[in-house]
Amino acid sequence: MAESEVDLSKKYDAVIIGSGAAGGMAAHVLTTHGLKVLMLEAGKKLNIEQELRSMEWPYNNPHRGELPPGSQSLTHNEYTIRRPPYGPGFEKSKNLYSYIGSSDYMKNIVVNERDNPYTGTNYAWVRARCLGGKTNIWGRLALRLSDYDFKAKDRDGFGENWPISYSDIAPYYDKVDLYLGITGVKENLPYLPDSIFQRPTKFTCAEVTLKEGIAKMGRVLTQYRAGVTTDGLKHNKYRSRCYGRGACSRKGGCDIHAAFDSPTGLIYPAMDTGNMTLRTNSIAREITVDPQTGKASGVHFTDSQTMKDYTVRAKVVIVAASTLESARLLLLSKSRLYPNGLANSSGHVGHNFCEHIMGPYVAGQATDLVGKPPTLDDGRPGSFYLTRFRNLAEKHPKFIRGYGFEGGSGSSMFPPGTDNPGFGASFKEEIRKNQGSYIGMGAFGEVLSRYENFVDLDPSVKDKWGIPALRFHYKFGENEHNMAKDMKETAQEMFEAAGFKIIFVSDRVLTEGWSIHELGTARMGDDPKKSVLNQFQQSHDVKNLFVVDGSAFVNASCQNPTWTIMALCWRSCDYLADQMAKNEL
Amino acid sequence: MSAKNPIDLKQDRRQWLKTSATALGAAVLPLPAAATEALQAEPQGAAPPTTTSPTTTGVEAKSGARFFTPAQHMLVEELSETIIPADNHSGGAKAAKVADFIEQTVRESTDEQQKATWREGLRLIEVMSQHYNGKSFVAASPEEKIAVLQVLSDNEQLTELPEVQFFRELKHLTVRGYYTSKIGIHDELEYKGNRILQEFVGCGDPTPPTT
Repeated sequence: MAESEVDLSKKYDAVIIGSGAAGGMAAHVLTTHGLKVLMLEAGKKLNIEQELRSMEWPYNNPHRGELPPGSQSLTHNEYTIRRPPYGPGFEKSKNLYSYIGSSDYMKNIVVNERDNPYTGTNYAWVRARCLGGKTNIWGRLALRLSDYDFKAKDRDGFGENWPISYSDIAPYYDKVDLYLGITGVKENLPYLPDSIFQRPTKFTCAEVTLKEGIAKMGRVLTQYRAGVTTDGLKHNKYRSRCYGRGACSRKGGCDIHAAFDSPTGLIYPAMDTGNMTLRTNSIAREITVDPQTGKASGVHFTDSQTMKDYTVRAKVVIVAASTLESARLLLLSKSRLYPNGLANSSGHVGHNFCEHIMGPYVAGQATDLVGKPPTLDDGRPGSFYLTRFRNLAEKHPKFIRGYGFEGGSGSSMFPPGTDNPGFGASFKEEIRKNQGSYIGMGAFGEVLSRYENFVDLDPSVKDKWGIPALRFHYKFGENEHNMAKDMKETAQEMFEAAGFKIIFVSDRVLTEGWSIHELGTARMGDDPKKSVLNQFQQSHDVKNLFVVDGSAFVNASCQNPTWTIMALCWRSCDYLADQMAKNEL
Repeated sequence: MSAKNPIDLKQDRRQWLKTSATALGAAVLPLPAAATEALQAEPQGAAPPTTTSPTTTGVEAKSGARFFTPAQHMLVEELSETIIPADNHSGGAKAAKVADFIEQTVRESTDEQQKATWREGLRLIEVMSQHYNGKSFVAASPEEKIAVLQVLSDNEQLTELPEVQFFRELKHLTVRGYYTSKIGIHDELEYKGNRILQEFVGCGDPTPPTT
């Protein structure tokens, strides 16, 4: 449906702001309950059949898969030496993308930094404004949290506990597993609960070596738990099962949608119910409030193309714009009743901002694989995950909380080793013979949720649509830096235990934001003075306002957040539908 | 060879820059681009197009004209083939038409610095070839070509020198072009992916099936 055809005169049961993992899930659950829903997405509707070119050979791409001339993505160096906004100083490129937008397969998915400035401390902020948001290009690691995370304060005294336990959310993790599909292997780990897995992927020879090598140390290597359907989903006509074709590491999306993305996994099926209307190119700038009741009344938004302003009314407003955009929108929604922004009587909106620290990395070589005939090693949605081992039974003297490693090994479409020194016949032969023997892994660690790490609105800088930009006040702390040193040491010790030749090991920390796992800016809690939302992601202050994305997280844990975002959102939307039926909203 | 006795590039280059300047009767360095064209075109005996001067390249890029002259293109072919040569296993950079990829990349680039690196680099390679081998790079034997690039490879850390910058750029684009070509992917690496298969085989992996 064209934007102009969307009926904005009627009052919807719910308006959902955002179409990523959270917005898509809200649409699925609420339309299933029979609610009439309007979804607003700031970006465009991509033609994903053309956009996600998983099977394209580089030599059939006009620029071999690289960005076309006049487009540029930011590098680690640039994020390190320059403060945002990223725009000034890059005039030679018409299109400037965040670091993830470094290929031809991402360029229409991530935003142009020039149109979407932000300010403050250095931060690699990756934003995807299009239907489905970042789920179009996500890394697919789909992990559960456990009570080691939900009740972390009970273990080490830091921060706050979540207002829920694992038993509250476990049934919803199950629902997400069954509705969207996940591949993995049961391990029976108390700190990393199993999902209801479909057919697992298999390890390469180097990975088997690593698994056996670290088992002696009591550490666990498991198959990459990917949000990918390997057996197919009978209830979803938009998604195929995974055929393990290779080049999955390109991450420009999955053209057969075996990997979960919000449009085919959630939104198209929601639209098929007849209960959902979608309006793209719609940038929310304020949640409107009824001055009589103090409740949310709807959304004021701008059409990104025509620049015209609109207001739409709804009984319930659901914010799912991503952790940082959701906080921005709440802060933008100031009124006489809510001078500090909506849902912000606690002063915690934008605060307790947390994520995952990454950077420490080890690369090695399984020398017994050098010169072996090539095998298809990237025909998998992911390679391996090395689970958390710190601060479980024992207490580390230098830091609290934990980290895990994501890794990969074996041949890929573009070979490793091309930055080896030298040139000529031996250079070429080495790349060929070594291509299947490399293995590497990098850590993802919990960044503590601290009030001092926050975002607010910049008093002067505005985006292309005149909306105040977000300003960052965010730095890794001592706990994170101590953890990073340990990540490097344990990475090296495990590769040595596996007998790999170490090629490279580093504890260099990547710029804040690199993990693309921002969380916590509107956290849940039982105490309205210290939290923004209750356990159903419902605002303490405004009961017909829900914030269902990663901003609700109380801490970051060290597990990738997407699966938890969707499980929480499902639980909250079930509650919402129930409350609406009882006329409690 | 020179890994044991690497040439001191900073010492050497004074010598070869001086020689080349004298040979051309130029009073000052760096050489004007037109003179470089003459130098590079010499072995083929063809008159160099005079349009490839730094001041006109912007216009050229817009009009779609080629960035490299035919003589320069031949030089790029030889340089890339020296980086990734044909061997018993597969074709090299020349067969994979890496020079065409480099031509397109540099021509379309909006980065004037990158264009300058190529222009100046090709000139300096020719000067070096004259100095070390007494002949143009294109006319040199494979061993003589290797000798010139070995000097740069051995001094790869001297990133302030334009010829070293050029070598790194040459290697980067050659590698990029070669391993994204049909020859690179299918003949050289024998990449097995990007096609439908029933199941990923793995490594006799003892993983039990999930129920």
